[in-house]
Amino acid sequence: MACAEALRVQAYFDGELDDAAAAQVQRHLGSCADCRALVQDLERLRTAIRRDLNPVASPQLRTRVAQALDAQAPAQVTALRVRAPRNRSFWLGALSGVGGSALAAAVLFVLLSPMLGSALQEELVSAHLHSLLPSQLIQVESSDHHTVKPWFAGHADVSPVVADFSGAGYRLIGGRADAVDHQRAAVLVYQHGAHVINVFSWEAKRGGVARESTRNGYHMIFWTDADLQYCAVSDTGWNELSALVRLIREQGVREAHP
Amino acid sequence: MDARRARFEAQVLPHLEAAYRFARWLAHSRTDAEDIVQDAVLRAFRGFEGLRSGDARAWLLSIVRNCHANAYQQHKRRAAVPLPEEGDAQSAHVMVASEPDPESLTMQRDDERTFERLLGELSQEHREVLALRELEEMTYREIAEVTSLPVGTVMSRLARARTALKELWLKETEGEPSGVR
Repeated sequence: MACAEALRVQAYFDGELDDAAAAQVQRHLGSCADCRALVQDLERLRTAIRRDLNPVASPQLRTRVAQALDAQAPAQVTALRVRAPRNRSFWLGALSGVGGSALAAAVLFVLLSPMLGSALQEELVSAHLHSLLPSQLIQVESSDHHTVKPWFAGHADVSPVVADFSGAGYRLIGGRADAVDHQRAAVLVYQHGAHVINVFSWEAKRGGVARESTRNGYHMIFWTDADLQYCAVSDTGWNELSALVRLIREQGVREAHP
Repeated sequence: MDARRARFEAQVLPHLEAAYRFARWLAHSRTDAEDIVQDAVLRAFRGFEGLRSGDARAWLLSIVRNCHANAYQQHKRRAAVPLPEEGDAQSAHVMVASEPDPESLTMQRDDERTFERLLGELSQEHREVLALRELEEMTYREIAEVTSLPVGTVMSRLARARTALKELWLKETEGEPSGVR
Protein backbone atom coordinates (compact mmCIF):
# COMPACT_ATOMS: atom_id res chain seq x y z
CA MET A 1 0.00 0.00 0.00
CA ALA A 2 2.56 2.56 1.07
CA CYS A 3 4.75 4.47 -1.34
CA ALA A 4 8.48 4.33 -0.63
CA GLU A 5 8.33 8.04 0.17
CA ALA A 6 5.70 7.60 2.91
CA LEU A 7 8.10 8.15 5.81
CA ARG A 8 9.47 11.30 4.25
CA VAL A 9 5.95 12.53 3.57
CA GLN A 10 5.16 12.00 7.25
CA ALA A 11 8.30 13.91 8.23
CA TYR A 12 7.18 16.69 5.90
CA PHE A 13 3.75 16.72 7.52
CA ASP A 14 5.38 16.93 10.96
CA GLY A 15 7.53 19.86 9.86
CA GLU A 16 10.76 17.90 10.28
CA LEU A 17 12.27 18.56 6.85
CA ASP A 18 14.52 21.40 5.77
CA ASP A 19 13.38 23.62 2.92
CA ALA A 20 15.14 21.65 0.17
CA ALA A 21 13.75 18.29 1.27
CA ALA A 22 10.31 19.80 1.81
CA ALA A 23 10.34 21.13 -1.75
CA GLN A 24 11.19 17.64 -3.04
CA VAL A 25 8.29 16.16 -1.09
CA GLN A 26 5.95 18.82 -2.41
CA ARG A 27 6.95 17.89 -5.97
CA HIS A 28 6.41 14.24 -5.13
CA LEU A 29 2.95 14.98 -3.75
CA GLY A 30 2.09 16.54 -7.08
CA SER A 31 2.55 13.20 -8.79
CA CYS A 32 1.65 10.62 -6.11
CA ALA A 33 -2.02 10.15 -5.25
CA ASP A 34 -1.19 7.65 -2.47
CA CYS A 35 0.93 10.19 -0.65
CA ARG A 36 -1.67 12.93 -1.10
CA ALA A 37 -4.18 10.60 0.53
CA LEU A 38 -1.66 9.90 3.28
CA VAL A 39 -1.32 13.61 4.08
CA GLN A 40 -5.08 13.88 4.24
CA ASP A 41 -5.28 10.92 6.65
CA LEU A 42 -2.57 12.39 8.85
CA GLU A 43 -4.43 15.68 8.96
CA ARG A 44 -7.72 14.00 9.88
CA LEU A 45 -6.20 11.89 12.62
CA ARG A 46 -4.49 14.95 14.07
CA THR A 47 -7.72 16.95 14.03
CA ALA A 48 -9.67 14.14 15.68
CA ILE A 49 -7.04 13.51 18.34
CA ARG A 50 -6.76 17.16 19.24
CA ARG A 51 -10.52 17.51 19.31
CA ASP A 52 -11.36 14.43 21.36
CA LEU A 53 -8.39 13.79 23.55
CA ASN A 54 -7.27 16.77 25.51
CA PRO A 55 -7.56 15.96 29.19
CA VAL A 56 -7.07 18.87 31.58
CA ALA A 57 -5.58 18.53 35.04
CA SER A 58 -8.04 19.18 37.84
CA PRO A 59 -7.42 21.93 40.43
CA GLN A 60 -7.42 19.12 43.01
CA LEU A 61 -4.38 17.59 41.35
CA ARG A 62 -2.51 20.89 41.64
CA THR A 63 -3.41 21.10 45.31
CA ARG A 64 -2.37 17.49 45.87
CA VAL A 65 0.97 18.03 44.21
CA ALA A 66 1.61 21.21 46.19
CA GLN A 67 0.82 19.39 49.45
CA ALA A 68 3.03 16.48 48.52
CA LEU A 69 5.88 18.91 47.88
CA ASP A 70 5.23 20.61 51.23
CA ALA A 71 5.46 17.24 52.93
CA GLN A 72 8.97 16.66 51.64
CA ALA A 73 11.25 16.71 54.68
CA PRO A 74 13.36 19.87 54.61
CA ALA A 75 16.35 17.76 55.70
CA GLN A 76 16.25 16.00 52.35
CA VAL A 77 16.53 19.27 50.60
CA THR A 78 19.94 20.71 49.96
CA ALA A 79 19.22 24.35 49.49
CA LEU A 80 20.88 25.68 46.41
CA ARG A 81 21.84 29.26 46.11
CA VAL A 82 19.86 30.87 43.37
CA ARG A 83 21.68 33.59 41.57
CA ALA A 84 20.17 36.97 42.21
CA PRO A 85 18.52 38.41 39.14
CA ARG A 86 20.91 40.65 37.29
CA ASN A 87 20.40 44.25 38.10
CA ARG A 88 19.51 45.59 34.73
CA SER A 89 18.84 49.16 35.73
CA PHE A 90 22.44 49.48 36.90
CA TRP A 91 23.72 48.48 33.48
CA LEU A 92 21.22 50.68 31.72
CA GLY A 93 22.39 53.55 33.89
CA ALA A 94 26.00 52.79 33.02
CA LEU A 95 25.09 52.63 29.37
CA SER A 96 23.30 55.97 29.33
CA GLY A 97 26.19 57.52 31.23
CA VAL A 98 28.50 56.85 28.31
CA GLY A 99 26.71 59.72 26.60
CA GLY A 100 28.80 61.41 23.93
CA SER A 101 31.12 58.60 23.02
CA ALA A 102 29.18 56.80 20.35
CA LEU A 103 31.95 54.31 19.81
CA ALA A 104 32.10 53.35 23.44
CA ALA A 105 28.36 53.09 23.51
CA ALA A 106 28.39 50.85 20.47
CA VAL A 107 31.04 48.62 22.00
CA LEU A 108 29.18 48.48 25.26
CA PHE A 109 25.95 47.71 23.49
CA VAL A 110 27.53 44.79 21.69
CA LEU A 111 28.89 43.54 24.99
CA LEU A 112 25.65 44.08 26.81
CA SER A 113 23.11 42.98 24.29
CA PRO A 114 23.43 39.22 24.88
CA MET A 115 22.88 39.84 28.55
CA LEU A 116 19.99 42.22 28.03
CA GLY A 117 18.56 39.70 25.65
CA SER A 118 18.88 36.99 28.25
CA ALA A 119 17.17 39.06 30.94
CA LEU A 120 14.48 40.00 28.47
CA GLN A 121 13.85 36.36 27.62
CA GLU A 122 13.60 35.54 31.31
CA GLU A 123 11.09 38.36 31.67
CA LEU A 124 8.99 37.21 28.72
CA VAL A 125 8.83 33.60 29.86
CA SER A 126 7.81 34.63 33.35
CA ALA A 127 5.18 36.97 31.90
CA HIS A 128 3.93 34.06 29.80
CA LEU A 129 3.81 31.81 32.88
CA HIS A 130 2.13 34.47 34.96
CA SER A 131 -0.49 34.88 32.26
CA LEU A 132 -1.42 31.20 32.57
CA LEU A 133 -2.62 31.72 36.13
CA PRO A 134 -6.39 31.80 36.34
CA SER A 135 -7.83 35.26 35.62
CA GLN A 136 -4.48 36.71 34.48
CA LEU A 137 -4.62 35.67 30.87
CA ILE A 138 -7.15 37.97 29.34
CA GLN A 139 -8.37 41.47 30.07
CA VAL A 140 -10.36 42.01 26.91
CA GLU A 141 -12.05 38.85 25.77
CA SER A 142 -12.77 38.75 22.11
CA SER A 143 -11.90 37.16 18.83
CA ASP A 144 -12.95 40.32 17.05
CA HIS A 145 -10.05 42.55 16.09
CA HIS A 146 -12.41 45.54 15.95
CA THR A 147 -12.85 45.20 19.73
CA VAL A 148 -9.32 44.28 20.75
CA LYS A 149 -7.42 46.85 18.71
CA PRO A 150 -9.16 49.96 20.11
CA TRP A 151 -8.85 48.52 23.62
CA PHE A 152 -5.06 48.45 23.21
CA ALA A 153 -5.06 52.07 22.11
CA GLY A 154 -6.29 53.05 25.56
CA HIS A 155 -4.28 50.55 27.62
CA ALA A 156 -0.96 49.71 26.04
CA ASP A 157 0.51 52.65 24.07
CA VAL A 158 1.06 50.41 21.06
CA SER A 159 -1.08 49.37 18.16
CA PRO A 160 0.06 45.96 16.98
CA VAL A 161 -1.32 43.79 14.20
CA VAL A 162 -4.54 42.26 15.58
CA ALA A 163 -6.18 39.44 13.68
CA ASP A 164 -7.90 36.15 14.31
CA PHE A 165 -6.60 33.09 12.43
CA SER A 166 -9.17 30.50 13.49
CA GLY A 167 -9.21 29.15 9.96
CA ALA A 168 -5.59 28.13 10.37
CA GLY A 169 -6.10 26.78 13.89
CA TYR A 170 -5.03 29.88 15.82
CA ARG A 171 -8.00 31.36 17.60
CA LEU A 172 -7.63 34.86 18.97
CA ILE A 173 -9.15 34.61 22.44
CA GLY A 174 -8.34 38.09 23.68
CA GLY A 175 -5.72 40.56 24.78
CA ARG A 176 -4.23 42.23 27.81
CA ALA A 177 -1.85 45.04 28.73
CA ASP A 178 1.47 44.09 30.28
CA ALA A 179 4.90 45.59 30.86
CA VAL A 180 7.96 44.35 28.98
CA ASP A 181 11.42 45.86 29.03
CA HIS A 182 10.16 48.72 31.25
CA GLN A 183 7.56 49.68 28.68
CA ARG A 184 3.87 49.22 28.26
CA ALA A 185 3.17 46.29 26.00
CA ALA A 186 0.16 44.87 24.21
CA VAL A 187 -0.34 41.12 24.45
CA LEU A 188 -2.49 39.10 22.09
CA VAL A 189 -3.58 35.70 23.34
CA TYR A 190 -4.11 32.85 20.92
CA GLN A 191 -5.37 29.36 21.54
CA HIS A 192 -3.84 26.60 19.43
CA GLY A 193 -5.06 23.12 20.35
CA ALA A 194 -4.31 22.72 24.05
CA HIS A 195 -1.70 25.46 23.97
CA VAL A 196 -1.82 29.13 24.76
CA ILE A 197 0.38 31.46 22.74
CA ASN A 198 1.14 34.95 24.03
CA VAL A 199 2.22 37.49 21.41
CA PHE A 200 3.88 40.47 23.10
CA SER A 201 4.47 43.74 21.28
CA TRP A 202 6.15 46.91 22.47
CA GLU A 203 7.96 49.89 21.02
CA ALA A 204 11.37 48.85 19.66
CA LYS A 205 13.48 51.52 21.31
CA ARG A 206 16.90 49.91 21.32
CA GLY A 207 16.82 48.60 17.79
CA GLY A 208 14.93 45.45 17.08
CA VAL A 209 15.73 41.87 17.97
CA ALA A 210 15.10 39.04 15.54
CA ARG A 211 15.90 35.60 16.79
CA GLU A 212 14.52 32.35 18.08
CA SER A 213 15.30 30.81 21.42
CA THR A 214 14.09 28.37 24.02
CA ARG A 215 13.89 28.81 27.78
CA ASN A 216 12.74 26.07 30.13
CA GLY A 217 10.90 24.37 27.31
CA TYR A 218 9.19 27.54 26.13
CA HIS A 219 9.91 28.65 22.61
CA MET A 220 10.27 32.32 21.73
CA ILE A 221 10.32 33.99 18.35
CA PHE A 222 11.30 37.66 18.18
CA TRP A 223 10.71 39.86 15.18
CA THR A 224 10.15 43.53 14.38
CA ASP A 225 7.56 45.20 12.21
CA ALA A 226 6.94 48.93 11.77
CA ASP A 227 8.80 50.18 14.88
CA LEU A 228 7.31 47.48 17.06
CA GLN A 229 9.18 44.63 18.66
CA TYR A 230 7.17 41.41 18.75
CA CYS A 231 7.76 38.22 20.66
CA ALA A 232 5.62 35.07 20.50
CA VAL A 233 5.98 32.73 23.51
CA SER A 234 4.52 29.26 23.99
CA ASP A 235 5.17 25.64 24.87
CA THR A 236 3.74 24.69 21.51
CA GLY A 237 6.10 23.19 18.90
CA TRP A 238 8.47 25.28 16.80
CA ASN A 239 6.56 24.72 13.61
CA GLU A 240 3.26 25.61 15.19
CA LEU A 241 4.71 28.77 16.71
CA SER A 242 6.46 29.93 13.54
CA ALA A 243 3.31 29.29 11.50
CA LEU A 244 1.47 31.81 13.69
CA VAL A 245 4.35 34.30 13.40
CA ARG A 246 4.19 33.95 9.63
CA LEU A 247 0.43 34.62 9.65
CA ILE A 248 0.86 37.74 11.78
CA ARG A 249 3.69 39.07 9.62
CA GLU A 250 1.72 38.48 6.45
CA GLN A 251 -1.21 40.28 8.01
CA GLY A 252 1.14 43.17 8.87
CA VAL A 253 2.24 43.42 5.25
CA ARG A 254 -1.38 43.42 4.09
CA GLU A 255 -2.29 46.20 6.53
CA ALA A 256 0.71 48.30 5.50
CA HIS A 257 -0.04 47.95 1.78
CA PRO A 258 -3.76 47.53 1.45
CA MET B 1 9.36 28.65 50.60
CA ASP B 2 13.02 27.90 50.10
CA ALA B 3 14.92 28.87 46.97
CA ARG B 4 15.15 25.36 45.60
CA ARG B 5 11.42 24.88 45.86
CA ALA B 6 10.82 28.25 44.23
CA ARG B 7 13.13 27.37 41.37
CA PHE B 8 11.40 24.02 40.94
CA GLU B 9 8.00 25.70 40.86
CA ALA B 10 9.17 28.18 38.24
CA GLN B 11 10.92 25.68 35.98
CA VAL B 12 9.05 22.40 36.32
CA LEU B 13 5.54 23.00 37.63
CA PRO B 14 4.44 24.98 34.56
CA HIS B 15 4.60 21.64 32.78
CA LEU B 16 2.17 19.97 35.18
CA GLU B 17 -0.58 20.23 32.58
CA ALA B 18 1.57 18.48 29.97
CA ALA B 19 2.54 15.84 32.55
CA TYR B 20 -1.11 15.14 33.28
CA ARG B 21 -2.10 15.02 29.60
CA PHE B 22 0.68 12.54 28.93
CA ALA B 23 -0.06 10.43 32.02
CA ARG B 24 -3.74 10.42 31.13
CA TRP B 25 -2.92 9.04 27.70
CA LEU B 26 -0.65 6.39 29.09
CA ALA B 27 -2.75 5.30 32.04
CA HIS B 28 -6.17 5.74 30.53
CA SER B 29 -7.82 6.36 33.85
CA ARG B 30 -7.99 9.67 35.61
CA THR B 31 -7.10 8.49 39.10
CA ASP B 32 -4.16 6.42 37.86
CA ALA B 33 -2.94 9.39 35.86
CA GLU B 34 -3.15 11.67 38.90
CA ASP B 35 -1.21 9.19 41.04
CA ILE B 36 1.43 8.94 38.34
CA VAL B 37 1.76 12.72 38.06
CA GLN B 38 2.12 13.14 41.81
CA ASP B 39 4.74 10.41 41.93
CA ALA B 40 6.58 11.94 38.97
CA VAL B 41 6.59 15.47 40.42
CA LEU B 42 8.03 14.22 43.72
CA ARG B 43 10.74 12.26 41.93
CA ALA B 44 11.48 15.27 39.78
CA PHE B 45 11.75 17.43 42.88
CA ARG B 46 14.17 15.02 44.57
CA GLY B 47 16.24 14.74 41.41
CA PHE B 48 15.96 18.37 40.40
CA GLU B 49 19.74 18.81 40.30
CA GLY B 50 19.75 16.39 37.38
CA LEU B 51 17.96 18.90 35.21
CA ARG B 52 20.72 21.51 34.73
CA SER B 53 19.78 23.70 31.80
CA GLY B 54 17.96 21.08 29.72
CA ASP B 55 14.40 21.04 28.52
CA ALA B 56 12.27 20.84 31.68
CA ARG B 57 9.20 19.58 29.87
CA ALA B 58 10.95 16.67 28.12
CA TRP B 59 12.66 15.84 31.40
CA LEU B 60 9.42 15.79 33.41
CA LEU B 61 7.61 13.75 30.76
CA SER B 62 10.37 11.15 30.72
CA ILE B 63 9.92 10.82 34.49
CA VAL B 64 6.15 10.47 34.01
CA ARG B 65 6.87 7.73 31.52
CA ASN B 66 9.06 5.85 34.01
CA CYS B 67 6.52 6.24 36.79
CA HIS B 68 3.83 4.88 34.57
CA ALA B 69 6.01 1.91 33.61
CA ASN B 70 6.53 1.16 37.33
CA ALA B 71 2.85 1.52 38.14
CA TYR B 72 1.95 -0.65 35.17
CA GLN B 73 4.27 -3.43 36.33
CA GLN B 74 2.73 -3.38 39.81
CA HIS B 75 -0.69 -3.27 38.28
CA LYS B 76 0.04 -6.35 36.19
CA ARG B 77 1.23 -8.19 39.25
CA ARG B 78 -2.04 -7.46 40.98
CA ALA B 79 -3.81 -8.54 37.79
CA ALA B 80 -6.57 -6.04 38.35
CA VAL B 81 -8.90 -5.15 35.54
CA PRO B 82 -9.14 -1.42 34.84
CA LEU B 83 -12.66 -0.06 34.70
CA PRO B 84 -13.60 2.98 32.68
CA GLU B 85 -14.47 5.92 34.85
CA GLU B 86 -17.46 8.15 34.52
CA GLY B 87 -16.55 11.79 34.61
CA ASP B 88 -13.57 11.19 32.37
CA ALA B 89 -15.55 12.09 29.31
CA GLN B 90 -16.27 15.47 30.81
CA SER B 91 -12.72 16.26 31.77
CA ALA B 92 -11.51 15.04 28.41
CA HIS B 93 -13.61 17.56 26.58
CA VAL B 94 -12.85 20.78 28.33
CA MET B 95 -10.37 21.87 25.70
CA VAL B 96 -12.19 20.57 22.67
CA ALA B 97 -12.26 23.02 19.80
CA SER B 98 -15.73 24.43 19.35
CA GLU B 99 -15.91 24.78 15.60
CA PRO B 100 -14.70 21.75 13.67
CA ASP B 101 -13.80 22.50 10.07
CA PRO B 102 -15.86 20.84 7.34
CA GLU B 103 -13.16 18.26 6.68
CA SER B 104 -13.04 17.05 10.24
CA LEU B 105 -16.81 16.69 10.18
CA THR B 106 -16.35 13.59 8.09
CA MET B 107 -14.79 12.08 11.20
CA GLN B 108 -17.28 13.45 13.68
CA ARG B 109 -19.35 10.81 15.34
CA ASP B 110 -22.21 10.75 17.79
CA ASP B 111 -20.06 9.09 20.38
CA GLU B 112 -17.32 11.60 21.03
CA ARG B 113 -15.41 9.09 23.08
CA THR B 114 -14.76 6.97 20.03
CA PHE B 115 -11.21 8.15 19.67
CA GLU B 116 -10.53 7.75 23.33
CA ARG B 117 -11.68 4.15 23.11
CA LEU B 118 -9.77 3.48 19.90
CA LEU B 119 -6.65 4.87 21.45
CA GLY B 120 -7.04 2.44 24.32
CA GLU B 121 -6.73 -0.35 21.79
CA LEU B 122 -3.35 0.87 20.60
CA SER B 123 -0.19 -0.48 22.17
CA GLN B 124 1.62 1.53 24.81
CA GLU B 125 4.49 2.24 22.39
CA HIS B 126 2.10 3.63 19.81
CA ARG B 127 0.08 5.68 22.28
CA GLU B 128 3.03 7.51 23.73
CA VAL B 129 4.58 8.67 20.46
CA LEU B 130 1.19 9.84 19.22
CA ALA B 131 0.53 11.77 22.42
CA LEU B 132 3.92 13.46 22.36
CA ARG B 133 3.63 14.40 18.70
CA GLU B 134 -0.03 15.38 18.37
CA LEU B 135 -0.82 16.86 21.77
CA GLU B 136 2.54 18.03 23.06
CA GLU B 137 3.61 19.00 19.53
CA MET B 138 7.12 17.77 20.18
CA THR B 139 9.74 17.37 17.48
CA TYR B 140 11.09 13.89 16.70
CA ARG B 141 14.20 14.81 18.64
CA GLU B 142 12.25 15.83 21.73
CA ILE B 143 10.17 12.64 21.52
CA ALA B 144 13.42 10.67 21.28
CA GLU B 145 14.61 12.42 24.44
CA VAL B 146 11.47 11.54 26.40
CA THR B 147 11.28 7.92 25.22
CA SER B 148 15.04 7.18 25.08
CA LEU B 149 14.64 5.95 21.52
CA PRO B 150 16.74 6.78 18.46
CA VAL B 151 15.14 9.42 16.24
CA GLY B 152 14.77 6.94 13.37
CA THR B 153 12.78 4.61 15.62
CA VAL B 154 10.56 7.50 16.71
CA MET B 155 9.83 8.21 13.06
CA SER B 156 8.94 4.65 12.08
CA ARG B 157 7.02 4.01 15.27
CA LEU B 158 4.99 7.15 14.72
CA ALA B 159 4.15 5.97 11.21
CA ARG B 160 3.06 2.56 12.48
CA ALA B 161 1.02 4.13 15.28
CA ARG B 162 -0.83 6.34 12.83
CA THR B 163 -1.51 3.46 10.47
CA ALA B 164 -2.79 1.36 13.37
CA LEU B 165 -5.07 4.15 14.61
CA LYS B 166 -6.39 4.77 11.13
CA GLU B 167 -7.20 1.08 10.66
CA LEU B 168 -9.00 0.92 14.00
CA TRP B 169 -10.97 3.96 12.99
CA LEU B 170 -11.86 2.52 9.58
CA LYS B 171 -13.07 -0.66 11.25
CA GLU B 172 -15.15 1.42 13.61
CA THR B 173 -16.92 3.32 10.85
CA GLU B 174 -17.30 0.42 8.45
CA GLY B 175 -20.84 -0.60 7.58
CA GLU B 176 -22.29 2.52 9.13
CA PRO B 177 -25.07 4.12 7.10
CA SER B 178 -23.56 7.20 5.54
CA GLY B 179 -26.57 9.37 6.34
CA VAL B 180 -26.14 9.02 10.10
CA ARG B 181 -23.51 11.70 10.52
